[in-house]
Amino acid sequence: MRTHGTVDRRSLLKITGGSVAALGLTAAGCGGGSDSGGDGTVTIRYTWWGSDDRAKRINQSIALFEKKFPKIKVKTDFQPYADFWKKFNTQASGGNTPDVFQNAIGFLRKYDAKNVLLDLREQVEAGNLRLEGFRAGLEKFGEVDGKLVGVPVGSNSMALVIDEAVFAKAKVTPKPGWTWDEYHDALAKIRETAGRAGDAGPYGIMYLYDLYLRQQGKAFFTASGLGFTEADLTDWWNKAAGRVESGVYADPKKTIQAKPKSAVTAELAGCEFTWDNFTVRYTSEGKSRYGLAPIPTTDGKRTGQYLGSLMLSASKRTKHPKEVAQFIDFMVHDPEVGKIMGYDRGVPATEAQNAAYVPTDEVGKQIAAYEKQLVESRVLEQITPHPAGADVCEAAFLRLSEEMSLGTRTVADAVKQYFTEAKTALSA
Amino acid sequence: MSLVRTGARGVRAGSLAWHLGSLAVLAVVLYPVMWVIGGSFKPNDEIVGSLNVLPTDPITDNYRRLADGIADIPISTFFGNSLFLALASVVGVLVSSSLAAYAFAKIGFAGRNLLFTLMIGTLLLPYHVLLIPQYVLFQKLELINTYTPLLLGKYLATDAFFVFLMVQFMRGLPRELDEAARLDGCGHLRTYWSIVLPLCRPALITSAIFTFINAWNDFMGPLIYLNEPEKYTVSLGLKMFVDQDGVANYGGMIAMSLVALLPVVAFFLAFQRYLIDGMATSGLK
Repeated sequence: MRTHGTVDRRSLLKITGGSVAALGLTAAGCGGGSDSGGDGTVTIRYTWWGSDDRAKRINQSIALFEKKFPKIKVKTDFQPYADFWKKFNTQASGGNTPDVFQNAIGFLRKYDAKNVLLDLREQVEAGNLRLEGFRAGLEKFGEVDGKLVGVPVGSNSMALVIDEAVFAKAKVTPKPGWTWDEYHDALAKIRETAGRAGDAGPYGIMYLYDLYLRQQGKAFFTASGLGFTEADLTDWWNKAAGRVESGVYADPKKTIQAKPKSAVTAELAGCEFTWDNFTVRYTSEGKSRYGLAPIPTTDGKRTGQYLGSLMLSASKRTKHPKEVAQFIDFMVHDPEVGKIMGYDRGVPATEAQNAAYVPTDEVGKQIAAYEKQLVESRVLEQITPHPAGADVCEAAFLRLSEEMSLGTRTVADAVKQYFTEAKTALSA
Repeated sequence: MSLVRTGARGVRAGSLAWHLGSLAVLAVVLYPVMWVIGGSFKPNDEIVGSLNVLPTDPITDNYRRLADGIADIPISTFFGNSLFLALASVVGVLVSSSLAAYAFAKIGFAGRNLLFTLMIGTLLLPYHVLLIPQYVLFQKLELINTYTPLLLGKYLATDAFFVFLMVQFMRGLPRELDEAARLDGCGHLRTYWSIVLPLCRPALITSAIFTFINAWNDFMGPLIYLNEPEKYTVSLGLKMFVDQDGVANYGGMIAMSLVALLPVVAFFLAFQRYLIDGMATSGLK
């Protein structure tokens, strides 16, 4: 017993010494992140959200970039969406944001207001970043008050994902320009013929409600606040509550239980609204055939749609604005990168990359056809503002609509609560 | 006779009911674990939304694909990093907390009670309050993207709970032992090393087990401080399988979760016998 103990403690002492030494070494060894090396080699940090599959594509693209620009090394880092923003927030408060990062429209003004984003206009003028060759005016998408704070990488738009078998059985074919009444008639028919709800529940999707408001000449946000009244939202949610009750929209208890599976692939609903580039999941999750249908309209013409996009933004604190601009330029324009990335982040934003990648899979073809139809039918409009706090507003909209649909909050209460929360978020 | 027999039968029936009841509760408790084990042998589309424990058609693809790594990084890298971090944390906590505890428990110095109260007070600070100031501090020291921010505190006895645990344990040791040691010419370090530490083994083992599990499971710390996937720990690696934008690989995630459980279970099994052994043999003989 005693000898046993001594040996333990002696080896413990050794381990301790060793690990303290190691700690010192790591501390001494790895200071500084993105400094220039002695031979003029520059290292930039690039972070994004996504998973394994996107990581592999991005690694391949970066290998190409480093071959073409041997003096620039790119270090990547990635997390899932929610964790990405947690980490990014911490980095921003520490003044340690990555040189380049993936960004979305809801965060542009927020981080511009916090002085985190680099105005890339200067680099465009210096010729390090080309703004020509973007599809459908996408180069305007990353502008805030005349500053260029984001460069689009791939376009996406809201769409209605439908279970084609269910729609065929109900004998409904959605056509461009169909109205909300026709859409709700279709849902009722689906409920009769397929024995499941028509839609998974559109009432909580902020970006869809935005389209609905835009069809009436309003918008979800103005430059500084909400672009609709309590009466507007009460009407939208009152009707929704009735439709959940009557089973036209799926039972929220069931759809929540089916998560992370979508209500459509879980066979609880015949269709649901989502971003067209999310549709890749449906075919791999469900057994039926899935297609993309147009957004219903109010007047038979306007869908209110615009092309959205993920963007690449640069950090204001970067020590290498030129190299960062060269990297962004390569990632959005190079045809080879277009071939590697495919539709991973939506339909490529530039003509060059879009021409380089021809989708061979069924889902890719559908997305390409859907966006082509949007561009050709000229329904696309200018995007309306997404003020700082838009991300918080989106999350609150989803949560409160869910509580409303579950009946844990009355519509009046949910609307009131939403306006309180949104005002706080937008004024912060 | 007959009385005794019915009595025995009664006891046997009671014990049967007791065991059946326990088994029923056990089944409920173990169901999620069994579901995860079963799920790791299911194809991706069969996992989500299915309550079945057993796969209809078991496959081993989920495990075999782990060998390809995640995002071009072999999974052994994640395990190596986690293991290094967990073991280094254990060493740090054991050494620093026991030293601090010795001072609090055995040495009378001015302000001891005040300092002890302050130390206990740090337990009340939520982790998230410290997160950003700590990040800024380590950022200024240029220690981001190293393991130092994750380990340094462990070597400076900042885990107040473990210090508290050891202080309480040391206070229970008879004073006569220290006095005898001092009479034999021991200084504080000698007393600490030869008298107190060996007797504190149960407290040390408990701290070691908890530190290992905490460090192995820690997500927020590595998420914030590590900036290269090559330095990631298992808990970060697990998150790489699923994102809202793409097709989620639940099979891979579940398979890796199970593999990730093994070191924790192994560590616990290896040390829990010392835990019991220690409690039985501590104190004076």
